Amino acid sequence: MKKQTEKQQKKREPKKLSRRQFLGAVAATTAIAGLAGCDMGENTGGSGWLPKQYRSAANWPIQLKGRVPVDPENPSIVRRDDACILCGQCIEVCQNVQNIHGYYELPVKNEFMCVNCGQCALWCPTASIYERSHIDRVREAILNPDMTVIVQTAPATRVSIGEEFGLDMGTWMEGQQVAALRRLGFDVVLDTNFAADLTIMEEGTELVKRVTSGSAVLPQFTSCCPGWVKFLEFFYPELIPNLSTAKSPMQMFGSMLKTYYAKKQNIDPKKIYSVAVMPCISKKMEASRPEFKTVAEYYNDDSMKDIDAVLSVREFAIMLKEAGIDLPSLPEEDYDSIMGEASGAGLIFGSTGGVMEAALRSAYYLMTGTNLPEDKLDIKAVRGLQGIKEATVNVPGVGDVKVAVCAGLSNARALCEMVKAGKVDYHFIEVMACPGGCISGGGQPRTTVPPSDDMRQKRLESIYAKDAIYKLRMSHQNPEILQAYKEFLGEPGSHLAEDLLHTYYISRAEDVTPKKFN
Amino acid sequence: MKDTTAQAKNKISFKITPARGILLVLGLLSICLIVYRLINGLGVTTNLNDQWPWGLWIFIDLAAIALAGCGFSIAVITHVFHIKKFKPLTRRALLLSFLLYIVALLILFIEIGRWDNFYTPIYSFAFTSPLYEVFMCIVLYFLMQAIELLDISIERFNPPARSKISKIMPVVVIIACLLPFGHQASLGAMYLGMPQKLSAIWSSAFLPWSFLINSFFAGLAVVVLEYHFFSKHYRQPKDNAMMTGLTRVIAVIMLGYFVLKIIDLAARGAFGLVFDGSLEGNMFLLEMVIGVIIPIIFGLSSLVKKTSGQIFMATFVVIGLLLSRFNVIFVGMIKTLGNSYVPSWIEIAVIPGLFALAIFIYLFAVENLPIFQAANREYDAFAGREKHAGYEVVSK
Amino acid sequence: MTEANTNRGVLFDVKQCIGCGSCTVACKLWNDLGYEKPDVAGNAHGFDVELTDKNWTIVTYNREKDANGKDVLRFLKNQCMHCKEPACISVCFAHALYIDENGAVVCDPAKCAGCRYCMIACPYSVPKYEWDKVFPSIQKCQMCDSKIAAGEATSCSAVCPTGALTFGDRDELLALAKKKIAADPSYVNHVYGETEGGGTRWLYISDVPFEKLGLPINVPNTPINDYLHGYLKYTPVVFLGGGALFAALSIYTKRRAKVAGHGEGDE
Ligand code: SF4
Ligand code: SF4
Ligand code: SF4
Ligand code: SF4
Ligand code: SF4
Repeated sequence: MKKQTEKQQKKREPKKLSRRQFLGAVAATTAIAGLAGCDMGENTGGSGWLPKQYRSAANWPIQLKGRVPVDPENPSIVRRDDACILCGQCIEVCQNVQNIHGYYELPVKNEFMCVNCGQCALWCPTASIYERSHIDRVREAILNPDMTVIVQTAPATRVSIGEEFGLDMGTWMEGQQVAALRRLGFDVVLDTNFAADLTIMEEGTELVKRVTSGSAVLPQFTSCCPGWVKFLEFFYPELIPNLSTAKSPMQMFGSMLKTYYAKKQNIDPKKIYSVAVMPCISKKMEASRPEFKTVAEYYNDDSMKDIDAVLSVREFAIMLKEAGIDLPSLPEEDYDSIMGEASGAGLIFGSTGGVMEAALRSAYYLMTGTNLPEDKLDIKAVRGLQGIKEATVNVPGVGDVKVAVCAGLSNARALCEMVKAGKVDYHFIEVMACPGGCISGGGQPRTTVPPSDDMRQKRLESIYAKDAIYKLRMSHQNPEILQAYKEFLGEPGSHLAEDLLHTYYISRAEDVTPKKFN
Repeated sequence: MKDTTAQAKNKISFKITPARGILLVLGLLSICLIVYRLINGLGVTTNLNDQWPWGLWIFIDLAAIALAGCGFSIAVITHVFHIKKFKPLTRRALLLSFLLYIVALLILFIEIGRWDNFYTPIYSFAFTSPLYEVFMCIVLYFLMQAIELLDISIERFNPPARSKISKIMPVVVIIACLLPFGHQASLGAMYLGMPQKLSAIWSSAFLPWSFLINSFFAGLAVVVLEYHFFSKHYRQPKDNAMMTGLTRVIAVIMLGYFVLKIIDLAARGAFGLVFDGSLEGNMFLLEMVIGVIIPIIFGLSSLVKKTSGQIFMATFVVIGLLLSRFNVIFVGMIKTLGNSYVPSWIEIAVIPGLFALAIFIYLFAVENLPIFQAANREYDAFAGREKHAGYEVVSK
Repeated sequence: MTEANTNRGVLFDVKQCIGCGSCTVACKLWNDLGYEKPDVAGNAHGFDVELTDKNWTIVTYNREKDANGKDVLRFLKNQCMHCKEPACISVCFAHALYIDENGAVVCDPAKCAGCRYCMIACPYSVPKYEWDKVFPSIQKCQMCDSKIAAGEATSCSAVCPTGALTFGDRDELLALAKKKIAADPSYVNHVYGETEGGGTRWLYISDVPFEKLGLPINVPNTPINDYLHGYLKYTPVVFLGGGALFAALSIYTKRRAKVAGHGEGDE
């Protein structure tokens, strides 16, 4: 009995005497069970561990409390409870950085509120929240000899994948990444940057139309970030007309792959398995959105998907490690062609401000017929990690084009409020849901927890450094893009381009009651 | 009084025939399974789960205890009401009942999750729990029966010493007659605790009394079966008139039971449920038709004048009792608890052996104790030492 | 130590719950309860669970229609209701379950004989068993007894990020619940637990009918104990009265038999 009591007291060392006394009384009875040689089970009333903030007397308010809800059917994230320590980091990022949690009225309607950005997965110190894995389905496709498994790699993956192999933050691994994908058994390795260039052509053309027509809705919002798009659909459905109708690069790539590419390369589009390696897990949600059935409609076959699987950089690294492929020791290899060539403009999509910069480079050309002068190609004002950046580009014959860039949905919320209130007269606004843009997306390696600006900065710098030395720095210079328009699409904004490369949005106002802040 | 030679010599005699060997082997098998269960816990050995915490063993328990009502029903008839024509049955009923209680207690011991704590309820004084009443009554009743059997053993092995114990026997007998009223009814009362879980067909304040009454007449039916089987087995002369009388008594009590059941259903407005074609309703009808109506018709007709009629009727009564317990434990709860429980093989396999063991001990006791032949002398201190012609045990 | 208050309770407001499951994790952490193994997708926890010996509380989700007929997502946290007059205690024949000085219904495994009557008698089927143990005990929410003894809120209500769970004095919570209902007509006009089974320490308010969320609404307002007492009160009568009656009858019938004719009469 003495032993029992001692054991119990040791177990509840940090607690108050009152509890000790109370449980001491219980110990007498528990000792009987002890004699009987049985496992006593738990002490009455619990004696485990809880983060300190929850141990205050009674119901005093505390700041960091609980965690975010996760829909068991969330296409992007899953959570295993046994790793959760209730640290409150996920709710912190969800509420204060992304403005989702706490920005809707309770009770909830018919949805677990989530824009699938995956920042909680990056912030969670125990990786209790992580991506819904597509590894198995990709493996299965690779092992299927009938399938041509084609992979695209997003702009921001090549500056982060090295970190999974112990390299410095932001190490440039484009060539090794291509080599690694080939060794994993992907049949064709292509570049999302190509589609980024395509996006610029379409989105830039749309912008030019809006700016020059005078009557259309301005400002135009970028639409390549699915987290941002869903955010707008939830909280600012009245701004849907401002969203560019251009699909995101990944989805454009998906549409083109099973149509244009399949035709060019003479592959049965039904036998193509389309995989995307992404820095983003919102892309898993995007790929599952019901609007993206372009290929299915093109071929009149409901079983076909634009994108079959999306791998996060972390999943990609897991596959490499499980296959014993040491990425840093691989030789640098080139992307396959076609749809493997890209300009620097496509590359900088991976960082905040990149889409804007790339779009301006081409829009300038589309409006004026001449390229931006070489020394003005770097639009430095839209680079960097500040929340909201703005710039004005003087386009001869058009006037000042005013643009803004923001990353992180709290900043987006601020911008949307300003737009709604008519306080700003931007022409074009780029929004990325993740702070820093895709280089710090929810599917990126967990290099620092929570993600640090130092890490973001290094990945940014790596991207801009490469852009600076690219031969081609403007999307409309990409020969493969020009070829695609010439041989297949016609011209930007053509009927076929509308069908394949543009989409529509749905208001989610029904699913949420936004909280009013005044 | 005539004694066999073996008894006269105060020696124990018991021949192990092949059939008895089989009983013994079955019993040993059960003991092995019991040990296995005690070592490994309930999860490993049974299919009980959080939805169905009570299963086959509880059913066997409740059924065995109800059938063990034979001890007290005969005792009440003969000792309290002094209906003498049934006196020859008291000792065999007592023995049978005692053995059924052993079976029930053994199963209870493996059924409770913490057999190492089996004694804690004894001093818990949990007067709010019907199970406490059940437990205490069974333990005490078992004790009383043991004393009664001790008395019989003393009579057999050391008759002069009997005077010492005979003084307390009247009290023992009265207590033994009373206790079952407590626990037979309390077994039903256990199900008063779940009014919103048990189907309204059975969920009633009358349930305890229903359990009490049907254990009373089912106990008598068990005696009928026992009487016929073992009298035949031991080639004893049978008193057919006595058996007819007993079946009549059963039928009359059952008639009362049936009327009470109907009044209870009507009073609670639960008749609709019985005839709505649901599983519960149909099972209740089955319980009533097989277990009550058919036996009543038999019992009141001339059919029970013949041995076969008596056996037939008693069998139906016993089946009816099993059905009534089965219905409350399983059928009545299935709607709320779901259908996630099917007994495991161990749960099932443990049972036959225990009954085999009970029969084995019964045979042993009958051959070595004045069970059949001594009905005339039992509790003579109390009953006034009437003289009856006893039976003689003749081993096959 | 704060003054002993045996009248504690928790109010669960269905409208405030977002289904984050923090409460379930807090319960696991504080009570050292393990997890079942996650399935291949790592997805076994969350909503995929039932009350077991390891899960003292779970949050379920239901898609239901609200008052306006719209589909809504509603969550329900389940745990022991800590009845004021608990069925589990009434039926426990070992007195292993008891209400301790903080008002929590707890089980003393040293006394429990493992009859599992409490499991089957609890109107909410809360007590669960450690089936895989050789010497198992009954497991269920203990209302974080050691925490409330120290003046803290229960673990689950301490971590709830939205205030769906409020810990406090039961009477005050009841008043709060009624105030909420009065102020917002979308609530069902009933505080679940106010009267159920004689009243519970955990109270629920909701804007969708309670039965849609899986709460049993056929729990009688009479404590289960009263049902049992309706029978058990006869016990002394049966034993004392019955004893006297039997003794009298026994003597009477015996004498009558003697008088009737030398012990051979049949009545
Ligand atoms: S960040 Fe991770 S560990 Fe922390 S509360 Fe959220 S899910 Fe749990
Ligand atoms: S909810 Fe069940 S386990 Fe909890 S106190 Fe009430 S009867 Fe007991
Ligand atoms: S299982 Fe234990 S706690 Fe539950 S009623 Fe039986 S003895 Fe009491
Ligand atoms: S009160 Fe404590 S034991 Fe009960 S559910 Fe909440 S955390 Fe778990
Ligand atoms: S912690 Fe609060 S909001 Fe989260 S599931 Fe539990 S009760 Fe609901």
